[in-house]
Amino acid sequence: MSLKATLYISVLLAGFVFVPAVGSQDLNVYFKTTPRIELLRPFADPADLALLITDADGRPVDNATVNVRLDAPAPGRFFSTDMPIVEGTRLNEMTLKLRQGRVSWKYLFPIRGEYKLLVDVHTADGRKAARSFVVRIRENESKWFALGAFSVALFVLGFGAGRIFTKIRIHAALIVLTCLLAAPAQGATAPVPEARLVGKLEVEPATVGKLSRIAWRLENAGQPDPRTVLLTLTVNHLENGKIVFAVEKLPIAGEFVTQFQFPDGAEYRVTAATNVAGLGPMRNEQVISVTGIEPPARAAAPALCYFIGLIAAGLGVGRWSKIRGATVEPR
Amino acid sequence: MEKTLARGLELASTERISFFIKSAIFLSVCGATLFVALAASYPAVHDTLHNVRHALAVVPCH
Repeated sequence: MSLKATLYISVLLAGFVFVPAVGSQDLNVYFKTTPRIELLRPFADPADLALLITDADGRPVDNATVNVRLDAPAPGRFFSTDMPIVEGTRLNEMTLKLRQGRVSWKYLFPIRGEYKLLVDVHTADGRKAARSFVVRIRENESKWFALGAFSVALFVLGFGAGRIFTKIRIHAALIVLTCLLAAPAQGATAPVPEARLVGKLEVEPATVGKLSRIAWRLENAGQPDPRTVLLTLTVNHLENGKIVFAVEKLPIAGEFVTQFQFPDGAEYRVTAATNVAGLGPMRNEQVISVTGIEPPARAAAPALCYFIGLIAAGLGVGRWSKIRGATVEPR
Repeated sequence: MEKTLARGLELASTERISFFIKSAIFLSVCGATLFVALAASYPAVHDTLHNVRHALAVVPCH
């Protein structure tokens, strides 16, 4: 191998996690996230996910496709996450074509836990490789802090009540609890420079917990046009303005299909943009309203039991401290 | 002496029962409040506390 080729391959491999291929001795599959997995947090910022496929000698495989499937973390033992419907379901499934041995896309991980990324590689000359990667996403520290503060507040509430209720001469205690409570898809197809050649974006009605088909294809006079274009497809969460999924300048042969799960019941904008040679930019957009699913009662029960348990513990400790204080007082 | 002891035991018993009754009522009220605030699906409550539910990490939302 020449020095130039070695240098080129070294640059390509930079930052990728080395994982030997399974099921094939002549294909290597590398996976990388940007930022690093340890820095990713659920529903914070989208991560860049990248795959690099090389031959046994380290040269990138060019003429190949990868089938990518992403599975959400399994439900926890006791506590659920804030999106229990998503737990243990398939989040994304798509087939992408490699460019210089690599492919990348953006994804916003919705919940904490261990995701499984399953990758199947099929080369034009019939070689295959299958790999699975585990992506462990840690919960946002600010959420743990909020949970801790809320837990302390409940304990203090119970503690205070425990002391009040423990009076020997019982006065009527008035506890005032204040509780601070404080569309169908719309589609629009952008005008295209040529009336006969149009991009068509289709998004299945979406429900949390189920995959929805997102398809974009190029049509010429109503017929599929197989010409290769570079597609940029983005799914935006409208409420918080975050990108939850994106592929940028992905080479497709007239059609791109992905099975995607929208993680929560909110409005999303799906945008497809491409630039057809000689015809200029083309853009399609759909705003969809995702149907949310009410979490089952058993998902909320552990958290409620935990909170009530904290208050009960506070009551016990409050009573104990009052009795102990009264016992010590005569001295 | 016995009268004093009996009065004391009676008072202690009454106070203990009173504490448990009040605690049970208090916990029931707290539980109902927490349920409405964190688990009820009424749109007005859910929409208002949507961010709070997500912020607590262990409270399910949709």
